[in-house]
Amino acid sequence: MTTVRIFFEKCGESAYISLLDLQRVFHRLLKISELPVWYTQGFNPHIYLSFSCPLSLGQESLCESCEVKTEQESIDGEAWRAALQPLMPRGITVTKVAPAQAKVGEIATAAYRITMPADSAAALDAYNAAETAEVTKKTKRGHKTLDLKQYLPRIDYTVAGKELVFDILLPCGSGEALNLNPALLMDCLNGQGGAPAWQCQVLRTHLYTASGQDFA
Amino acid sequence: MAGFSPKFKEALSLVQKPGRYTGGEPGCVYKDKQNVDVRMAFCFPDTYEIGMSFLGEKILYDLLNRHENWWCERAFMPWTDMKEQMERLGIPLYCLESKDPLTDFDIVGFSLEYELCYTNVLAMLRLGGIPLRAADRDERWPLIIAGGPCVCNAEPMADFFDVMQLGEGEQMLQDICATVETGKKQGWDKETLLRELAKLPGVYVPSFYDVTYLPDGRVEAITPNRPGVPARVTKAIVKNMDDYAPPVNFVVPLVGAVQDRACVEVLRGCVRGCRFCQAGQIYRPFRERSPQQISDCARELCRRTGYDELSLTSLSTSDHSQLEEILDRLNSWAEADHVSLSLPSLRVDNFSQSLVEKTTKVRKSGLTFAAEAGTQRLRDVINKNVTWEQIERGCRIAFSEGYTSVKLYFMMGLPTETMEDIKGIADTAQRVVDLFYQISDRPKGKGVQVTISVACFVPKPDTPFQFCAQDRREALREKQKYLLSCVHSRKIKVNYHDSATSVLEGVFAKGDRRLGRVIETAFEDGAFFDTWEEYFDYDRWMRAFAACGIDPDFYNYRALGLDEVTPWSHLDVGVSHSFLVREYQKALQAQTTQPCNRQCSACGANKLLGGPCFDYRQDLL
Repeated sequence: MTTVRIFFEKCGESAYISLLDLQRVFHRLLKISELPVWYTQGFNPHIYLSFSCPLSLGQESLCESCEVKTEQESIDGEAWRAALQPLMPRGITVTKVAPAQAKVGEIATAAYRITMPADSAAALDAYNAAETAEVTKKTKRGHKTLDLKQYLPRIDYTVAGKELVFDILLPCGSGEALNLNPALLMDCLNGQGGAPAWQCQVLRTHLYTASGQDFA
Repeated sequence: MAGFSPKFKEALSLVQKPGRYTGGEPGCVYKDKQNVDVRMAFCFPDTYEIGMSFLGEKILYDLLNRHENWWCERAFMPWTDMKEQMERLGIPLYCLESKDPLTDFDIVGFSLEYELCYTNVLAMLRLGGIPLRAADRDERWPLIIAGGPCVCNAEPMADFFDVMQLGEGEQMLQDICATVETGKKQGWDKETLLRELAKLPGVYVPSFYDVTYLPDGRVEAITPNRPGVPARVTKAIVKNMDDYAPPVNFVVPLVGAVQDRACVEVLRGCVRGCRFCQAGQIYRPFRERSPQQISDCARELCRRTGYDELSLTSLSTSDHSQLEEILDRLNSWAEADHVSLSLPSLRVDNFSQSLVEKTTKVRKSGLTFAAEAGTQRLRDVINKNVTWEQIERGCRIAFSEGYTSVKLYFMMGLPTETMEDIKGIADTAQRVVDLFYQISDRPKGKGVQVTISVACFVPKPDTPFQFCAQDRREALREKQKYLLSCVHSRKIKVNYHDSATSVLEGVFAKGDRRLGRVIETAFEDGAFFDTWEEYFDYDRWMRAFAACGIDPDFYNYRALGLDEVTPWSHLDVGVSHSFLVREYQKALQAQTTQPCNRQCSACGANKLLGGPCFDYRQDLL
């Protein structure tokens, strides 16, 4: 059995597809593609399909992925990619299909590129000047307060015309591991007079393992 | 996110399930609008999840878009949060494919599936910035049209639509688009366009008819006010189902729809002639699709959409004369393709072991039987030719096959109903529970769950019960209370809902043109999403009736005279008035009528085919 990882971009219209809906969409697309994916062997056989570190609604990404299984020893990744791409909803671009190299649990951090209106610069300056930036994170066990500055001591941004851009790296894990949604930072900046979330673009650019390698 | 304006992004960030408003689903049709002659906005006056479950739209979307120079797109009623944002930000109602506002379209069409969606039609026109009344729109505005079952009594909405389609849209809507294309190219004014459209089979132009009233409020006459306009509009139909292959591709919703599966319509019309059922009358005559076409199109549809569930839809799927062959053909590929079959609309009287086996090969779902009434006498009145023995047999098979829950549908408020009939509903459910425990090969270690779902009967036009008055709310409440007092088992669950919406449904179903003002008044007072309990406000509607000086009771609580001119008498759905009168009189004597594949009852609908519906020389059953 080979675990196959499908990498894709999720932008534009497709940024508004939730994880639950995305699972159903992929399930159908894989079925249409007639690729030799493995079905679970239970009473209601269905395609084994698992997404890693799903995004929040409205955020975009260049590095989403999901995994399926196949009984084939090896696969022609390019053929899989070519079979899947025409079936995708608007905004989803399949970038690579290849045998999985790392486990989802090995993902440690995610890089995001944030684009905001230039007049949010003051909010970023305030963030950089502050000692602490406390935010409240919702978890399964209730609310938890944490200090963003611990993970993002300083944000260096560049202003280009009407926009400002910066890159950040946040912990990104599944299960018990800490996962920080960039929305926490956006909310925090919004509280400092920064632009509301809908004026900002959150684009996930990379997922990294603990050793700093691209998740593959 | 180049395609989305900042305003649109702002709205999407503030609403629940934004995926309903973005489009981009697999199966969407995109065209270059520079090369398109006719643009149609197909509007469904309810939420995306409900509209995307609707097969009619999928059929017409497919048919229209096969024309290279026409482009049919979709619009739905935005949920309240999105509606609020669109109003606040000045985003007009748009179609999902191009994101262009409704005013950019040549035709804006609405599907009228039930009476309580009427206010949503007005809400969508208002959101699109389009004047509500046809009289306030000249040729610079899109042509506003309607279709769907409610058009069989279109009168309450007559003031708002330029054109209404009576009957089946497959050919009619293509004819309308072709006429609009010609009109555009020749620069017709609205009057000329409407006159040309009125010549098409099934097309009803409400403004071409005058309605006069008697002093007591009843309709006196409905007369054409232009030369060359037919006195009666006859419904359009598809004579041969196989001539219009069902769509082999759907727009597959990304956000889950209510009915999110592949479906193929296996037959149209119904042979049964239940006297309460409007669909059973207005979709006559009965026509079947061939097993080969059903199987081929279903397979192609599943392959293209990726659906793993296939539903065979119709008013009564088990009445297809070749159902076994259909199922055999489908089962020859379904399992290998990972597709499970479901058959809604099964009847208990021809429910068989092999049918259950053939539909549960891949997956088991719930079972529902429509008994409709609790006693044999009342079932005879409504011509639901189902007996207790048949219900017993159906449930016995189901339990032996491993089912442990059965849903039974009933109605209350039926003509001639007594408390004895209400008690009969509870008794029927109890007998089903008892039956379960008598069966030796019942599923082990499991209890049985019988759900009885009781709807309030609403007399509908074009049915034998159109002459009947609707039961008053107080009477229905009494009956609901009594039913609960008759249920003594925790294995029986009773579902019913308040009758307030049924009252409105009854008024608009049998209403006339004067109700347009009431709908508009209620809408201006904030009514929309009346189909959704949390937004339905009975008192607001009563205020609207009072403000317009119209007594709603006149429409639904009054029995019609058998010779009365009904508000829908100029709309001919096929069944004749004399047939409805005959059936009504038989109902009062609890006499049943044979299904029309066994014996023709001369309803008159065969004139639409130009010959008999069945070859009675053959032994069909």
